[in-house]
Amino acid sequence: MRIALLLILSVAALPAFAQSDSQWQLEQSTLSYHMSHPMHELDGVSHAAKGKGTCHEGQCDFLIAAPVKSFDSGDTNRDLHMLETTRGARFPMVVVRTHFPASELSQGTVNADLEVQFAGQTAHYQNVTFQRTGQGKDVRITGTVPATCSDFKIDRPTFLMVPIKNEIPVKVEMRWREQ
Amino acid sequence: MRRKVAFIPFSTILVFVLFVLSDASMIMRAAAQDATVPGSVSGTVVDASGKPIAHAALALTDAAGGQVAKAESDAAGKYGFSGVNEGEYNVTVSAAGFAVKTVHVIVTASQGLLDVSLAARSPANPAPSLNDLGFSTQQTESDPKLQAMLHRRTEMLRTHQRLGLITTIPMVATLFTGGGAKVEREGGQTTRGLNDANLDLHLALGAATGALYGTTAYFAIRAPHVPGTHKHGAIRLHEALAFVHGPGMLATGVLGYMAYKQENSGEKVHGIASAHGPVAVVTTIAYGASMVAVSWPIRVKFWEKKQ
Repeated sequence: MRIALLLILSVAALPAFAQSDSQWQLEQSTLSYHMSHPMHELDGVSHAAKGKGTCHEGQCDFLIAAPVKSFDSGDTNRDLHMLETTRGARFPMVVVRTHFPASELSQGTVNADLEVQFAGQTAHYQNVTFQRTGQGKDVRITGTVPATCSDFKIDRPTFLMVPIKNEIPVKVEMRWREQ
Repeated sequence: MRRKVAFIPFSTILVFVLFVLSDASMIMRAAAQDATVPGSVSGTVVDASGKPIAHAALALTDAAGGQVAKAESDAAGKYGFSGVNEGEYNVTVSAAGFAVKTVHVIVTASQGLLDVSLAARSPANPAPSLNDLGFSTQQTESDPKLQAMLHRRTEMLRTHQRLGLITTIPMVATLFTGGGAKVEREGGQTTRGLNDANLDLHLALGAATGALYGTTAYFAIRAPHVPGTHKHGAIRLHEALAFVHGPGMLATGVLGYMAYKQENSGEKVHGIASAHGPVAVVTTIAYGASMVAVSWPIRVKFWEKKQ
């Protein structure tokens, strides 16, 4: 009888555990934007992102930021051109803020609303799905932010007079650790 | 004669009656649910001073905690849930920098108004800020001067790219007209003398190529160098090839002039001047290769199958 009671209490306590206060630190990350042109397919990759997350009273706030100039497409000339096009010297950081219920942290998928500050503009993306794997204090989050040039009022770079595609999806791979 | 009546315990009758009643109530409840008219909830999300909060996230959950709908406030703080069945719900409102607020609402067939005021988040539990991440000031500080320099660089290199493409036309044409601009000999006898028209065309194209090439090079050489940049990738090959086609352009002109002088004085082109043609070919190949290098990696999409 006592064991049964304990089991019931444990099950009842599970949601409460999932929503307990916690602090998260971004341990490792790979952010890559994909640029598409009829004659080019390129990825610009950054491993320089830093991030922090706090969960309090069942709600989580996460912040991830990376220097715009840290994105490397494998060619200095192209990266400097991208830095100019994205106004990366005036607005040197790409900052992502997200806010979601703490209960999502214990699920396989996290649906988050994102606020992205980039190139001096702020864009909002609703219900972006991220995959969550990992156990214990280490959590791996992967997903893609459906960014476009027009979201940030970026003039699309051209090559041979043909502009790149408006879509510049940003693939995200992050490893977070609970502090 | 007394008839024998089967005895049914009272408890069994009670259970049966309760079962029938509960079942009937379930049927009635389901019918009532089917008959509900969808209602709506809308309003404005504001802060303590009454200022609208944009992009606040609102979640409508039923009594069991299941999420029914999601909404986001617009720039004026306005939000709305429509097509909501009558009943009791919770609206959870959250926004960056504000404490989460949950409001219990009863949705009826009429339009419900719910304005939500959010209090600033407790200083003890602030949302993470950029300052918490440990980036240096150099990384996060805006640099309008650098932006202006990058802009100038991009404009100059854009001109360099366009002029470079235009230069290709007279360069290739000069190469093709080279054959018709020289004296042809066979067995010590001149089979074709100097043709002024061909020579003039070759010279004019060569001069145009030289002038365009020089201007193209100027825009690349004078483009501002961004401090702290270590070049890597295909741009290095592009620049390295300039050390082939740059001297090649000069040499082609000089050797061409020498060859012209020799032929004009009735001599057969000899010595270093005979390298005019091969040097021009190597220069053009290096020039073309440098254009391919700066465009690398090239993917011709129409060769691929669409997925």
